[in-house]
Amino acid sequence: MKIRRLVTTVTGVAQEAIGLLSAVLAVLLFFGVLEVQAVFNLPADFMPLYLLILVAFSLFSIVSGAFLIREGRETT
Amino acid sequence: MGNEKKYGLSSAIIMGLGGAIGFEIFVLLNYAYFDLAGPSMISALLFCGVINLITMLSYSELSAALPEVGGEYTYTKAAFGGFISFMAGCLRWLASVFGGALAAVVFVEQLGVLFSVFAPPIQDLILANAALLIVGLVIVLVFLAIRGVEEATTLIVAAFLAIFVIFLAMSLNYTLTPRNIVPEASGSSLAVFFATAAYIFPMFVGMRALVAGAPQIKNPGKNVPRALMITTALLTVVYFLVAFVSVGVVNPSEVDAGPLLNVAASRIMGPVGAMLFALAGIFASVSSVGTAMSVQSSILGGMSRDGYLPKALLSAHKRFGTRYIAIIASSLFVLFFGTSGAVVFLGYAASFGSLLVFALVNLSLIQLRRKMPRLDRPFRAPFYPFTPIAGVVMSVLLLTIPVVLRDVNAESALLSSLGMVAVVLVTYYLRMVKREVDFNRLRVAVGGVCLGAGLTLIVLAPAIAPPAMFIIMVLAGLVSIIAGILNFLVSARKID
Repeated sequence: MKIRRLVTTVTGVAQEAIGLLSAVLAVLLFFGVLEVQAVFNLPADFMPLYLLILVAFSLFSIVSGAFLIREGRETT
Repeated sequence: MGNEKKYGLSSAIIMGLGGAIGFEIFVLLNYAYFDLAGPSMISALLFCGVINLITMLSYSELSAALPEVGGEYTYTKAAFGGFISFMAGCLRWLASVFGGALAAVVFVEQLGVLFSVFAPPIQDLILANAALLIVGLVIVLVFLAIRGVEEATTLIVAAFLAIFVIFLAMSLNYTLTPRNIVPEASGSSLAVFFATAAYIFPMFVGMRALVAGAPQIKNPGKNVPRALMITTALLTVVYFLVAFVSVGVVNPSEVDAGPLLNVAASRIMGPVGAMLFALAGIFASVSSVGTAMSVQSSILGGMSRDGYLPKALLSAHKRFGTRYIAIIASSLFVLFFGTSGAVVFLGYAASFGSLLVFALVNLSLIQLRRKMPRLDRPFRAPFYPFTPIAGVVMSVLLLTIPVVLRDVNAESALLSSLGMVAVVLVTYYLRMVKREVDFNRLRVAVGGVCLGAGLTLIVLAPAIAPPAMFIIMVLAGLVSIIAGILNFLVSARKID
């Protein structure tokens, strides 16, 4: 049980971090901060698509991560 | 309690004008004129006035039948119940966030225009430190809002109308260049026309302040609809005349001359006019940021009271009795978007939030006529069901046409609004789900999405990832897959 709890919590925290980083990346891309678009060589035509994917991915990652962290804490 | 309803028709009209006449005219006309429709922007203004009038008929009927505090939130709740009203509240809040952020940007822009008249070096300093000024403005307004300082709406409205009247009177001595304000009858020209209407639409939506204030108005069943109609007519005429004169003075190619209204004022009224308009813009934007934060804190407080948001948002300040946590929370969003300085995006985003709310209000009217046919309605929207249906169709049209035109700002604004709707949906579900089995079904769904997203990331990484991102994408994909499996398996077992 201890290992399962640990895996659940670690995965949840990692997913939260990925979700938050995706959200930050989406914001940086949207506002053109730090020239992220040029750094990653992303074509301008597909920016709305990239943003949509990033926002959706970050949303689901954050929600899923929250579920896992909650489960890890409940089984404590 | 019974003495609370104290305002008459004239006060109600001032309330409506006070909500509507604001900073928007100083900023939205620029992009609409120089980049979108040119002189036919004026026809788009009139079109917005008509759409606003149609939806105000629905507002009038609903506010007369349900004069309680809450406006759109109350109407949608009576018509559709929990989720739609929660969404209406969130969209209204969102529109207010974007509107407040835009007002903060306009504050800096108008401050720059003011100093450009007599101290150009200071203008450069202001524009270079725009974000810092916005932060300072929001902090001061948060401080004032927490202390419960109220603004003098009547004075601001009177000052605005006086400035506009002087501007129009002085324009009589100026030879206006005649321009064609009717859009061409081609498909692309009409599409641009609708996109312009969508962009400048926030110039009208502030009139909802009148509906929100309905409980304080004497005989609301009679006075609110009258005031809404008169305010719409007055506002459309004022906007039309001011825009008509400005377009006659400034050429569409003078995009670098400065904000349309300020340039027109300086040409017609000289440096004094330029300063007057800049001052009006500053006062209007400061007032709008303050109002936006107050509206947002009130919406957040209302939704918190109904159990949709944490109760902490209802906490009142010990000394001043204001909802300080809700005010601070609202100001953070205004700060975040305001410091971006993305004027066109904020304009569209504020418009889209309001258009979605307008569509919901019109749908609420139709639903309530069917659901509660015997509800006491002191005012009934004429030409039912054509008026609310026209309101819904127009809202949807204005929401979609700018996106069809591939205006990148409109696309981003619509995506942001839809993203927020998705967040609202998840939040509502998480807050409202009581039964364990529903919660587990949600977890199964989220787990499935994460599993699919993780697999897609790993499969696509070799093809689309830049070299620096390859390992990060694969790792993110692996974490998503593991998280998906964990969520899916655990919850599926609990459902069984």
